[in-house]
Amino acid sequence: MVIMPMRLAPRTIVSAAALLVVALSFDASARQALDRTKTPPPGKTPDLRVPTWTKASLANGADLIVSEKHDLPLVSFSITFLGGANQFEPAERTGLASITASMMSEGTKTRDGEGLSNALQLLGTSVSTAIGGESGSMSFVSTTGKFGQTMDILADMLLNSTFPADALERLRAQRLVALTQARAQPGAIAGRVFPKVLYGPAHPYGRVATEESIKAVTRDDIVAFQSQYFQPGRALITVVGDVTAAGVKPVVEKALAAWPKAGTRPTFSYPAVPERQKTTIFLVDRPGAAQSTMAIGHPGPPRSTPDYYAMQVMNTMLGGMFQSRLNANIREEKGYSYGVSSAFSYGKGPGPFRTGGDIVGEKTDAALVEFMKELRGILGERPVTDEELQTAKDSLIQRLPGTFASVTAINGALTTLWSQGLPDDYYQQYTKAVAAVTKADVLRVAKKYIDIDRLAIVIVGDRKSIEGPLKATNIAPIAFLDIEGAPKTQ
Amino acid sequence: MISNARSNGALVLGIVTCGLALVAGVAAAQSPSSVNIPFETYTLPNGLTVIASIDRTTPTVAVNMWYHVGSKNEVKSRTGFAHLFEHVMFTGSGHVPYGLHDKLTEGVGGSNNGTTSNDRTTYYETVPSNYLESALWIEADRMGFLLDSLDLAKLNAQRDIVKNERRQSVDNQPYGRAGEILAQATYPASHPYSWDVIGSMEDLSAATEEDVKSFFRLYYAPNNAFLAIVGDFDPAQAKAWVQKYFGDIPRGKAITRPAVAPVVLDAERRLVYEDRVQLPRLYVQWPTVGEQHDDRFALDVLGAILAGPRTARLTKALVYDKQSAASVSAGQGTNEDVGDFGMTITPRPGNTLTDLEQAADAVIEKLKAEGPTAEEIQKATAGEELSFVRGLESNLGKALRLSDGAGFHGDPGYFRTEYSKGQSVTAADVKRVANKYLTKGRVVLSIVPMGKLDQASKPGESKKVTDEASGGEGRW
Repeated sequence: MVIMPMRLAPRTIVSAAALLVVALSFDASARQALDRTKTPPPGKTPDLRVPTWTKASLANGADLIVSEKHDLPLVSFSITFLGGANQFEPAERTGLASITASMMSEGTKTRDGEGLSNALQLLGTSVSTAIGGESGSMSFVSTTGKFGQTMDILADMLLNSTFPADALERLRAQRLVALTQARAQPGAIAGRVFPKVLYGPAHPYGRVATEESIKAVTRDDIVAFQSQYFQPGRALITVVGDVTAAGVKPVVEKALAAWPKAGTRPTFSYPAVPERQKTTIFLVDRPGAAQSTMAIGHPGPPRSTPDYYAMQVMNTMLGGMFQSRLNANIREEKGYSYGVSSAFSYGKGPGPFRTGGDIVGEKTDAALVEFMKELRGILGERPVTDEELQTAKDSLIQRLPGTFASVTAINGALTTLWSQGLPDDYYQQYTKAVAAVTKADVLRVAKKYIDIDRLAIVIVGDRKSIEGPLKATNIAPIAFLDIEGAPKTQ
Repeated sequence: MISNARSNGALVLGIVTCGLALVAGVAAAQSPSSVNIPFETYTLPNGLTVIASIDRTTPTVAVNMWYHVGSKNEVKSRTGFAHLFEHVMFTGSGHVPYGLHDKLTEGVGGSNNGTTSNDRTTYYETVPSNYLESALWIEADRMGFLLDSLDLAKLNAQRDIVKNERRQSVDNQPYGRAGEILAQATYPASHPYSWDVIGSMEDLSAATEEDVKSFFRLYYAPNNAFLAIVGDFDPAQAKAWVQKYFGDIPRGKAITRPAVAPVVLDAERRLVYEDRVQLPRLYVQWPTVGEQHDDRFALDVLGAILAGPRTARLTKALVYDKQSAASVSAGQGTNEDVGDFGMTITPRPGNTLTDLEQAADAVIEKLKAEGPTAEEIQKATAGEELSFVRGLESNLGKALRLSDGAGFHGDPGYFRTEYSKGQSVTAADVKRVANKYLTKGRVVLSIVPMGKLDQASKPGESKKVTDEASGGEGRW
């Protein structure tokens, strides 16, 4: 191998080829005139091209949206169900929705699990079923030529799944292993403890699957969940790509002919969020950890808040991009972390505001001081500048074209309109709504939605080395939790 | 292994290969075999290779600047250097103050990031198409004028961030040190692939300002660079801008590449490492071939036949039939010069790594004796058609693929060759490479919970790895 030189001649020593370039430069004078200090101005802003689509309803009550895109022989297909685990899963069966989703690939009346897998592999694709907190879906992407055959397999999984008992036991065992593994993963520990602290066990947002809830799931639970959940009355079918609206409707209707009319859209009512406590540090001990994983926040508003646009602009400058205040300070200036951020999770209910990141252990206290400083900053201590405001708005507005860059991205954009009940011209209106946000709006929503006196500060780290310094910051009292978020006596 | 400069940037690696003939279907406007990545390529007198490809689907452009330098160009006491350098490239340059780069990319709805592998370092911007000129200006400025603004303070700040990246992705991550230990065990101590891209804490601390500057002068020169521009732009205008901003950056010195010898292990190396994990895990790694050797295509197919879908042989035997494993993965990792074939098994409680190793070996031996079926080959290659077309949706994915072809194979259109070679793998090829590479000359690593050395596979035969011996940070 060659040893990399540690000392090199300066760059002014150039090779023969480079000298040749200089000699041949007829336009050398023009190039000397090049002023590299001048930022090239942007060209004319390209027009926003929002995809078009058609809407129809099937006889069984499902909605159908088709958006044509013919530049590539690709189709993205999905059936989205309104409502998810939070609406359909009993509290003591947390994990049932997710296990049911996995069981949809375990066999139908005419194909066992291997048969389904083989058929899809030969088509070069796969069907995925997922059920989240407030929605679920069955979906695939195929080449145009394989669309009909893949659609038929998805319909078979939707309508004829058999839920073999031995498959349930296998999936259950795999999930129990995953839970065990999560106990060693600092990010996973914080991800389980933070919602528990914010919402408590009585709120669906505070529930996480446990060994007990996974062990409690029976095959009967799955059969009941499946028949109650996968109903056309709460479903949107979306087809995006190399199809025609007129051509694809009969194909979908034929494949789903045996799906009877049933179901309604669920209501999204959530119990009250527990009263917020005074700002508290919740310390989860992980002896010897090189880093502290921090999750700081409290419940926030639902997606339907009229303050959505102002909040997006506010959060973009606080912790929503690389040069946001939080990352510029804690990562770039101080070097305490590989990256920190902040976000609101907008759903049908009071999704959390969360900031934090992985912090080098010995800087845990110093980083917390900076997090608090930046929160106070956005709450008014450090006024937003015109430039910050403009950059945040430009970033949000000019991100839109990328939202429509692939068939799956377009599918997601159209499904969001439907599931969040947004108007058809939402993407056109979005630009105007973001552009209209003022500095006063940013300050107003920061004050309304970030409460620095009622924060939960979850820190997963080495108690022995970080407890003292954290106490010395005088930011908040410290409570101790175990890795499942249960209070621990000293 | 690939490391990213920026934790909140997403790297989209589109798989772009050639199309297949297609059976007629619903409203088929065109078949995948008729789609392609059209591109134009040329080289400036200073050696910079430029590749341009038009895609007008959305009004955006991806710019990818690919430098032929990676961790293999480091020396043993300065590991992690190429990657540390990647971070330095985001600290501003002669005419571009720190922060402006982000403002002209993420700040206008785009993105930027960089990645470092053993073999190359790559930087990219995605921007609205009206910001192409500023993206080229930024890339040219850090190629031509980075050192004008580099000082020790900047270097130290990035060094701290890289150490945090190492803590986050390696030291504080269950099983996080596996890759490093496997590389050290597979390659001889001075071999350029024997250290991990992220490097050791000690070496990161030792890098001097002058080390960084020397490294830059040699490797970040136009003759060692490939620039791909993909998206919605005017090609003549782009060509003029490339000439304007890159044309007068001087060619660098000739580069001598490290000679990377293929590795053959004459015996099995058995290791055990204690980590803060809940369950033990088994890692097996065999040395194989790199980008330049066609056996890698059959090794890719071998990986797909062994693990992945529920019908894959190891997955079926261990996860579905015996149900002794919670998960199994296997596959070929291809670097430029050489590669490795890896297998990872996580047990279900109550099953020992010793038993799992034996069961996995039995599956592999059977495949070596019989070879795969025709249907297994068909399934393993069928997904490529869809992957190819989906890869064409991403400007950035195409830019990365075109640059890889140009940098590693001297041909931006190498994706066509790659696709056809991947599609023509036969059952006999797979049987041959399984017998040739999956031999006793391998590394077997057990990662076990603290204090549970007896949970290793064949504990009596496995040598203990310590943090001190392997260059890690250790635990405080």
